[in-house]
Amino acid sequence: MIHLENNEPIEAAYIWVTEAAQGAVSDQTGNFNIKNLCPGTYAISIQYLGHREIKDTINLKDNSFNKTYRLEEESFNLAGVEIHGHRDAVQTTTAVTALYGEALMEARGENLGESLKRIAGVTTFSTGNTISKPVIHGMHSNRIMILNNGIRLEGQQWGAEHAPEIDPFLADEITVIKGAETVRYGPEAMGGVILVNPTPLFTKKQSLTELNLIGGSNSQLGNIAISHSGGSGKIKGLGYRVQGSAKRAGNVKSPDYYQNNTGMSELNFSGSIGYSSPKLGIETYYSFFNTSIGILRDAHTGNLSDLENIIQNGRPFTDGTFTYSIDNPKQVVSHHLAKLKSHYHLNENWKLNAQYGFQLNIREEYDRRRGDLNNKPSLDLQLYTNTLDLFLDHTHKNEFSGTWGVNVIQQANTNIPGTGVTPLIPNYDMVNLGFYVLEKYSKGPVELEGGLRFDIRSIQTARYINNELQQADLNYQNFSAFFGGLFQLSPTLSLSSNLGSAWRPPNVNELFSQGLHHGAAAIEIGDPNLNSEKSFKWVNELGYNFKKLSLEITGYANQIQNYIYINPTGEKVVSLRGTFNVYEYLQATAFFYGFDFAGSYQFTDNLSGYAKGSIIRAKNTDENNYFPFIPSDRMDWGIAYNFGKNANSQTNKLTLSNILVAKQRREPDFDIAAAPPAYALFNLAYQRGIDLKGNKLNLGLQVHNLFNTSYKEYMNRFRYFTDDIGQNFLLKINYQF
Amino acid sequence: MFNSKKTFFYALLLASFAFTSCDSDDPEAENDGEVITDVILNFQELNAAGTPTGAITSFKASDPQGIEVGATPTIQNVTLTKGKTYQLKIEVRNSIENEDITAEILTEADEHQFYFLGTAFVGSGVLTYTYADPTGDLLGVVGKVVVAQNPGFNNANMRIVLRHALDKNFSGATNPNFENFIQAGGETDLDITFPLILN
Repeated sequence: MIHLENNEPIEAAYIWVTEAAQGAVSDQTGNFNIKNLCPGTYAISIQYLGHREIKDTINLKDNSFNKTYRLEEESFNLAGVEIHGHRDAVQTTTAVTALYGEALMEARGENLGESLKRIAGVTTFSTGNTISKPVIHGMHSNRIMILNNGIRLEGQQWGAEHAPEIDPFLADEITVIKGAETVRYGPEAMGGVILVNPTPLFTKKQSLTELNLIGGSNSQLGNIAISHSGGSGKIKGLGYRVQGSAKRAGNVKSPDYYQNNTGMSELNFSGSIGYSSPKLGIETYYSFFNTSIGILRDAHTGNLSDLENIIQNGRPFTDGTFTYSIDNPKQVVSHHLAKLKSHYHLNENWKLNAQYGFQLNIREEYDRRRGDLNNKPSLDLQLYTNTLDLFLDHTHKNEFSGTWGVNVIQQANTNIPGTGVTPLIPNYDMVNLGFYVLEKYSKGPVELEGGLRFDIRSIQTARYINNELQQADLNYQNFSAFFGGLFQLSPTLSLSSNLGSAWRPPNVNELFSQGLHHGAAAIEIGDPNLNSEKSFKWVNELGYNFKKLSLEITGYANQIQNYIYINPTGEKVVSLRGTFNVYEYLQATAFFYGFDFAGSYQFTDNLSGYAKGSIIRAKNTDENNYFPFIPSDRMDWGIAYNFGKNANSQTNKLTLSNILVAKQRREPDFDIAAAPPAYALFNLAYQRGIDLKGNKLNLGLQVHNLFNTSYKEYMNRFRYFTDDIGQNFLLKINYQF
Repeated sequence: MFNSKKTFFYALLLASFAFTSCDSDDPEAENDGEVITDVILNFQELNAAGTPTGAITSFKASDPQGIEVGATPTIQNVTLTKGKTYQLKIEVRNSIENEDITAEILTEADEHQFYFLGTAFVGSGVLTYTYADPTGDLLGVVGKVVVAQNPGFNNANMRIVLRHALDKNFSGATNPNFENFIQAGGETDLDITFPLILN
């Protein structure tokens, strides 16, 4: 056995005699011996790494047979090996699920709420098809928290039609914590926390540019996003990233008609620069979010009779047409977020961290009004927030580690005068001071964690109502605590359990709302004497991973004292404009429980299936009735066929999925419209990854609502006025170079 | 442990916190520009030539606080004489701000329209309404009302609805007694029912 090129002997080439089922390996001189073969014809194959395989047939007649084979060198490119691994963005004993990689790529172009629907137990509370708020285990708005790169997002989250002011394109990973995390993140994190995190900055000379282009047929959506990350070769540890995205969409089409004035546009930017050395790390970050969203024209009703008429009609009175232009009613929202973060390793056990965040949220809401007023917002709010976190991390050689910290939140909300409307919420100043300690013990397969936090909050409000200055000075304080454990029961089975208390002071709108809500033909009246909500959430998660089966089941129970909800008083206001329902804010004990599941099974090398779903029960245990806007039971299942070979790391996959949503049969005693019927939707998705000389091209073709089914979702507030979005073809191109 | 660079950094951080820390502005009272507190129906008799003659009789619906819980509007009875023809001029005011909203409605004649409904106008022939806006728009700020000589019944009611942002070209929308006005889109700015007494 010798090389073809240079006649050198080949060592360790492999010969296989098929018929005899015998093999041998060549020695240093390139020779090998196979003994005890009977005379006859044999097929042999000779293999050596980096050389072309030789197949030959030999005829063995006598006792010995000699032949020299020359192996030809063959260059053979091995496909790049991708290592798939994942470390959670937060180390906690609560149930955590993250959206990243391929799943996140498939969700590109969708807003944060829509993207997160891919996680079992997360649904949306939406206002039409452009405004959606994530719901974790039945909780949303101020009962969950969103962190933009580590800073708690402070917008006007109290409003049902106020979507989170964040661009999902800035994230490389979106994590959902399904437990109460008030201790770690501060008040309001009762139902869960959403972490929107970019990739860490490069610390060595490297560069990566990513381009996303997305087009959608429904609403003629166009979306472009670019990000560029780089690391410095001159200054070791210096890295940066710039990222931006733009989005434009016109009127949404329901299967039978266009929804008038439902276009939107979005322009976002973020930039980050950081330095990291073994002892010191500094990072600055800035993100800007800016959107204009049209509100369905027909949803702005004049009085109760208008509202009842359109509910009865079940759809807008006119068919609508396609346009990109956005008219009143509309929202124009921008959000600035700047962050400065630093850590310093005091010694090998102690690390000092400081993080400061500045946010400015500007929200303008325009109604259909007469004359010059039409050009003025009817709600014009500016919210400034400063957050400061100082905390000390310790990790020791023994099994203990932990964090001790102080957190300050300072907030100022101003109504910009000149709206011609008495403000819905007053001007206010808020300061929140929190002290916390978290400790963790981990040994082998067991991890135990506990934490304590104390918060004090003070709010001063002021507003003129009928030329009368109304002021209030409110103070809240609370202890919260949690305890949890993570147990690796066997190499395939893990269990986590976490019991946490959480709290949320009443929101300014719940305390002081006073005014007409056009979308609901309702007059909402706040109650300044509301108490803080206090909750206990117990979350358990069981994970099982064995060969072809992977399964994750989360079960939880959440009891909330002083749960604040809005309830019709039964009273009606009669005015020259017509009649309106009156709603007031009440408090009761609430009990939420339910479970989520997510599982997948690999049937063959090419065929796999998945299923995920969630069930939530939420009850007012004082009144023994149900709360409005709790997601109904739902399930998403599908099968995927992978055209690629098993070992091929490039995706080439077709997925057919089916979303089943039950009717919400647990309705509150009063709702202006009954819950819509159950529905089933089919989606089709094709995802292809192509390797272009080290650059990666990912192509996605998706059809949402494949059969153009007309349906209404209980959790969409505009189900009163219109069907949901119809069929939508989407093309998603992602290029990384 | 701390070097001077580090100390400087944290000092800067704290300073920036103090610097950007800000208070909310003092609130200002808002002029509620959208509120309609008074709707006045001004009737004046028309002679055979169609010229307004004689005194103007006014009937008013008022809600001094606008939309407020607990307060109901005061609506006067409309008294008209059988067999007579009147010019009806509608006046809309915001008495809190002392604003004449009629002017705004006239400016946006293409987005507004009054509808005349209730038993007085629909199906009974008690009152017959025709738009007579000087600009030629079908608006209803000015109109002609004919009172039947021998109405089938007395004590009818006049429901007056002002629609905003409607599709004025919608089929049937040109009829001042169009009951399905809601189908033309838009929203209701006013919806008042006046009791009618005929002499």
